[in-house]
Amino acid sequence: MTLLSVEAVTRRYRLPRQALWSPPPVLTAVDAASFTLEAGRTLGVVGESGSGKSTLARMVMGFERPDAGRILFDGQDLAALPPAALRRLRPRFQMVFQDPYGSLDPRRTVGWSIAEPLRATGAEERGKVAEALDHVGLRPADAGKYPHEFSGGQRQRVAIARAIVTRPALLVADEAVSALDMSVQAQILNLLMDLQDELGLAILFISHDLAVVSSICDHVLVMEHGKTVEQGAVAQIMRNPGTAYTKSLLQAGGLL
Amino acid sequence: MIEAAGLTVELGAGQAVREASFVIAPGDRIGIVGESGCGKTMLGLALMGMVPDAGRVSGSLTVDGTQMVGAGEATWQRLRARRVAMIFQEPMAALNPIKRVGETVMEPMMVHLGLGRDAARARALELFREVGIPDPEARLRQFPHEISGGQRQRVLIALALACDPGVLIADEPTTALDANVALRVTQLLVGLAERRTMGLVFISHDLAAVARATERVMVMYGGDIVERGATGEVLVRPRHPYTQGLLSARPSPGNMRATAGRRGRLPTIPGSVPPLAELAPGCRFSGRCPVELDVCRGERPPLRGTMICHRAEEGA
Repeated sequence: MTLLSVEAVTRRYRLPRQALWSPPPVLTAVDAASFTLEAGRTLGVVGESGSGKSTLARMVMGFERPDAGRILFDGQDLAALPPAALRRLRPRFQMVFQDPYGSLDPRRTVGWSIAEPLRATGAEERGKVAEALDHVGLRPADAGKYPHEFSGGQRQRVAIARAIVTRPALLVADEAVSALDMSVQAQILNLLMDLQDELGLAILFISHDLAVVSSICDHVLVMEHGKTVEQGAVAQIMRNPGTAYTKSLLQAGGLL
Repeated sequence: MIEAAGLTVELGAGQAVREASFVIAPGDRIGIVGESGCGKTMLGLALMGMVPDAGRVSGSLTVDGTQMVGAGEATWQRLRARRVAMIFQEPMAALNPIKRVGETVMEPMMVHLGLGRDAARARALELFREVGIPDPEARLRQFPHEISGGQRQRVLIALALACDPGVLIADEPTTALDANVALRVTQLLVGLAERRTMGLVFISHDLAAVARATERVMVMYGGDIVERGATGEVLVRPRHPYTQGLLSARPSPGNMRATAGRRGRLPTIPGSVPPLAELAPGCRFSGRCPVELDVCRGERPPLRGTMICHRAEEGA
């Protein structure tokens, strides 16, 4: 079943004016990107910084509207939904960011932060927080602690607990393991795969690291300067990269 | 030439570096790998005389024959100016945001080498060319925010080279960079070390970068150098359980281990690096080690060959 369908999505930004009378230059951050993501599967989006992958993630999350094209989540066009309907849909797709310290309120207990998406939809329940903590390998008692009491890897677990507490169908992970040490990175990647098996999550996995993508994703989309230069099965692209850019990413990641 | 023997850095909570011994000769390229909190950066800072005030350094550290443990700040300043230089992970934080990058690179040459403005400027231009900065004349006049992350890292490398150091310590020089840019910066550092017969200490948790940049490697865990050797040897045939754990946790399709009826998972080292105060007195890795013996926790393993491990004899 197709959960997410992105159809020729384009997003442009106006850059600051270079001269007083000339029109400001326009940067096409994402240029006609198309893909589909099936329920329970993982799609990787790789590229260097500035390739447009985070802009794509923000559009999928409904934080930004595309200038052209459509994003269908469960058949509903995100940009066409009224704000209240988008809010009702939000528990179904959640996001995890690179820096868990920046995305958790340092003055609130992690239990409070994890319950935030539930409060937003009026579905707060103590049991759900404990369950989410259990899912990510933390103890229910950890709900009373503050972010600074956790290590970097544990904080990312907390951020993941917050993302899955509403039982979403889609998780968007933007560089979610990039800031972690390698052994912790492996733990978090395994956790994401476990959650996927247990909860049937689909994951849109944004990363600059092709090695990470190759270990967790079924399919991959390679972006360069906003354009999709290649997409397909991970194993296929690793065996036989179709562009010099993909090849250079493989080389840089020590995979070639 | 840097020689460390039993070099120890004691912080309030415990030993951040425990009895490190090694030699860095001109032209040597040495990697230091390990997870965060294992003492890599603290060892780098000890080589620069920049251990935080609360820290206490003991053992022996000689640079070109001069004993630096217990040396005063004036001695260290002379050494830092001319003999050892360091570059840091975050190039934006290391550059003065309200100064043109050319001025920043010229300053140490004017202060330490006594060059005049024109001579310093000419040298800065030369250095910018050497580190591969395009259009160097224009770059000299730019501010840090006007240039990209990779170019900023090159500016920092030019700055570190300003007074022609014998050893360059690079602390996570590629971690904040895109993979392609990181590759080029690594190649630049290797080229510089070779051309200038300069020692290079490459601190990183990125094993691929270390494999490219260095000839020898030291693996640190909990302040101990647990394994060392030729980079090609250690990273291909790791012997210490920690090095083995680190390498097998590398994300790649070949490392995935499938279990019955499930997709493959990555092998992991259970838990995380404990805080200094909670490290075991014996082998630092005990508690996380998959092949631990009774003796490991309490008794410190001796150095046997290339590693410290109670199971070294069995080839762990």
